[in-house]
Amino acid sequence: MIKRSFIKLTGPRLLCDQVEPDPKKPETIPIPPRLVLLLHEPLDSTRETLIKKGDTVKRGERLFLYKESTEYAVSPVSGTITSIASYTGDFGTIATYFIVERDEKDTPSNGFAEIADTPNLKSADSFLRSLPGAPPLSRFTDPDCKINTLVIEGTDSDLMSTTRQYLLATSKEEIKRGIQILRQMTGVAKIAITVPENASDDLSAEGVQVFKISQVYPKALPQMIMQDHLEIIPVPGATCEDQGVTFMSIEAVISLAKAYAQKEPVFEKVLTVIAKDGTRHRVKAVIGTPLHRIFKQFKLQTNERDRIIVGGPMMGHAAYTLYHPVGPDTDTVQIQDRDAIPYVSDYPCINCGKCVRVCPANVPVNLLVRYLEADLYEEAADNFDLQSCIECGLCSYVCTARIPLFQYIQLGKHQLIELETEANNA
Amino acid sequence: MHKQNKYTVSHAPFWHDGDTVTTLNQNIILAALPAAIFGILKFGAPALGVLALAVSTAMLWELAFNFISKREITIADYDSAAIGLLVGMMLPATAPWWIVLIGTLIAVVMGKMIYGGIGGNPFNPAVVGISVLLVSWNAIFDFDAALLNYEFGFTALAPLGALKHQGVAAMDLFQIKELAMGNQVGSIGTVFGAGIILGGIYLILRGYIRWEISLSYVAGILITAFLFRLVNPDLYASPLFHLFTGYTLLGAFFLAPENSSSPVNLTAMIIYGAMGGVMTILIRNVGSYADGTVFAILLINLINPLIDRIRPQALGKGVNNA
Ligand code: SF4
Ligand code: SF4
Repeated sequence: MIKRSFIKLTGPRLLCDQVEPDPKKPETIPIPPRLVLLLHEPLDSTRETLIKKGDTVKRGERLFLYKESTEYAVSPVSGTITSIASYTGDFGTIATYFIVERDEKDTPSNGFAEIADTPNLKSADSFLRSLPGAPPLSRFTDPDCKINTLVIEGTDSDLMSTTRQYLLATSKEEIKRGIQILRQMTGVAKIAITVPENASDDLSAEGVQVFKISQVYPKALPQMIMQDHLEIIPVPGATCEDQGVTFMSIEAVISLAKAYAQKEPVFEKVLTVIAKDGTRHRVKAVIGTPLHRIFKQFKLQTNERDRIIVGGPMMGHAAYTLYHPVGPDTDTVQIQDRDAIPYVSDYPCINCGKCVRVCPANVPVNLLVRYLEADLYEEAADNFDLQSCIECGLCSYVCTARIPLFQYIQLGKHQLIELETEANNA
Repeated sequence: MHKQNKYTVSHAPFWHDGDTVTTLNQNIILAALPAAIFGILKFGAPALGVLALAVSTAMLWELAFNFISKREITIADYDSAAIGLLVGMMLPATAPWWIVLIGTLIAVVMGKMIYGGIGGNPFNPAVVGISVLLVSWNAIFDFDAALLNYEFGFTALAPLGALKHQGVAAMDLFQIKELAMGNQVGSIGTVFGAGIILGGIYLILRGYIRWEISLSYVAGILITAFLFRLVNPDLYASPLFHLFTGYTLLGAFFLAPENSSSPVNLTAMIIYGAMGGVMTILIRNVGSYADGTVFAILLINLINPLIDRIRPQALGKGVNNA
């Protein structure tokens, strides 16, 4: 937790970390004997699943939960499924996890190899969705969104993380190849890449626009990039994709290049692991590696009531178990000591105005919160700009009364969606 | 499998800038201390007595209200302490104990607690307390009579009172420098203008009050007084005289920017502050009260909800590029 600066005429100026000048290679975590794979589809206990406990899987094989499922997880190892169960995430979202016990045979599946000669959007989407970096390929195939701009993120959007910047600085060749593949595959009109403002830009490949992003948080957030560099004002309640723009992590681009080069999906995710004292370790771990494996390698202790943060300190989420796996989009993992956890309170808003000052989207948070606290979600959206929020978390960060504002806001948005679906189903 | 710890699971963000309501109020009290201590040195033990009584009773009223309404005890946030201190600072050192008691009772209970406590009050609680006293026991605030028994080494006349009764001619008796350094007759915590400014600047620099309000308030005072003087210098006092007398500076840095009763958006803050300054001078120059600060502040508190609707458009509102 960061203390406020003594003098504070303007709002806080939180700066995103920069990658060190001569970055070390990541340390590789050995593939663990048991991997945990998350699948974003709820498990229905009344139905028989397609994949069952005891089934054997090959390396690179896709795991579908049901026959008509479109979501899949990819097993990074060959082995046996030892467990399938439900996983509850934020706001009660239900996902499913598989545990795969690795065998020594390491048999590859050749599903992707058969189609890897001709990069093509459809086949890529059906095999490579869970590559490290989680390429949003389905966005291009979705007839509802007409993507005309692809922004590749070479900058990390949250504080503390340097994973993407590291990859940007060290994988130039793959990035160029990946961009070529993407251009050919998607036919998207405009490709841009974000780089830290002080990066040397020898990346300006043919026809790729380079956006220099300020270090100041939250300038690297997708909506801010849209506004500052694409001159598209984000429409409240709409996603970037609704407005024709999609964002892709630089790691996804690199993974695509590698996958097509070696005709096999890749599974190694790069991430920044931050210890309680702030020491960083850059790590390469196979997707599905439980976090405790990584902590063990660096002898990082976790105690009761510490917080394990997956993602950055402003927008990440807290994991409740050390078996939480490295996912395709896990860029940062940090351990926060229990004594460093700032408390939240149930105090009312004292109208100090700090949240209003700090909000990059001009949301009247001081008024909004009164409606959210009273569960008046529709009023909150209609009159107090709930949907304009770009989810940066700064309001909570500064709140004098320590109200969990950001949580209220996300809950409010979540409830609005529920209300809408209810109305549609009625 | 090894034993699983229980981890703290909560929502992002996981950091905080460290501010709390308590630190906010502690800083406000700290910033008010130079002026308050000056008052104690100047007016002696009675001043200390009034301030101590004001702070303690303010906290006790809140505690009592917490008990009666069966709510959580909230005095640890120092909010009532700050209110009590400000009430005390606006009283003369000779104020009788029951005036202090009534002042803080009205300030804390009627000014704040009945609206649901901190954050709910539409008016500045300390100002509510003082204005009720002003209307009901105006004689207490006759600083000349109140401080009759004091021996001062300077003009022992309350400047604003003198202005009201003797006109601008009386102004020759006062030098701005003397006024700023606290060589004037007045309430405990408002005579030392330089000290209040010091505290105000501290709060502004540390981001505990909204500087837009304070500065526009001061600007409102100076510009309005200047205009009056432009029209008739024989009738109206100079801008700096107004700035350094009465509750003006306390109003600008401690009363008008009170969080709950003031706006948070830029345009609104500027209108609010400037109107406070303008109204103060209008009441002084045209109205019947010698010092209009507290009434001016009640007035801007009243319009605050209206003007705070003037706010910048939220991201994506009012644009049509979908
Ligand atoms: S999270 Fe808070 S500060 Fe950030 S955009 Fe939303 S309302 Fe504004
Ligand atoms: S920062 Fe918190 S206390 Fe201050 S106005 Fe915003 S919601 Fe209210």
